[in-house]
Amino acid sequence: LVMQGAEMQLLDADQAMNELGLEEHQLRFTSTVVIEYPGEVEQTVDRIYQYVKGKLKDFPVQMSADQSITVADSVLIKVSGDDDEAEKGVLVSWSYQDEDIGSYLLKLLKMGIPST
Amino acid sequence: SSDRKRRSYFWGALDVQEFVDKLNKEGLTDVKVEDSAEGHIVHLPNEDTLIQLEEGSTHIICEGNEGLRVKLKDILLQCLNRL
Repeated sequence: LVMQGAEMQLLDADQAMNELGLEEHQLRFTSTVVIEYPGEVEQTVDRIYQYVKGKLKDFPVQMSADQSITVADSVLIKVSGDDDEAEKGVLVSWSYQDEDIGSYLLKLLKMGIPST
Repeated sequence: SSDRKRRSYFWGALDVQEFVDKLNKEGLTDVKVEDSAEGHIVHLPNEDTLIQLEEGSTHIICEGNEGLRVKLKDILLQCLNRL
């Protein structure tokens, strides 16, 4: 509900933010988990990509040329580590508007990824 | 999908001192604040966590401790205006 002078208007939050000239505070999270997955980094990324795609059928899951995975509007997944070491770091980053998906993916990847 | 995303809006700049006071109150007492080019960096060395505070944005960077991340998120949202 927005009051301007003697006028009252019922607006949705999106419109109200615009009318009032308010800028949303951008909130972003980045968490890193360590997983065990033998194989090259590239294979690990591919495996995570397939796994996440299978789990989140209602959201766009994309692989970029730089070996990062994007999910929905703001979620980013990156893998770091050595090809000959099973231990890999998986970075999951998301903005507040994708909190549900981001926190879900972090929990999912924390449990490890199945090898096939 | 816009319904999914638009639960609440948060706006305004974060008051660093208010944020640190709230962290202390929640038992997070090992807190270091540094100035950065764009604002402040709040460092929780015991938790391996950094929080970058800028005028219109905040970035919480932590290890995979979800309990801590959610706690930090909740404290942070208390310091902002909600619509």
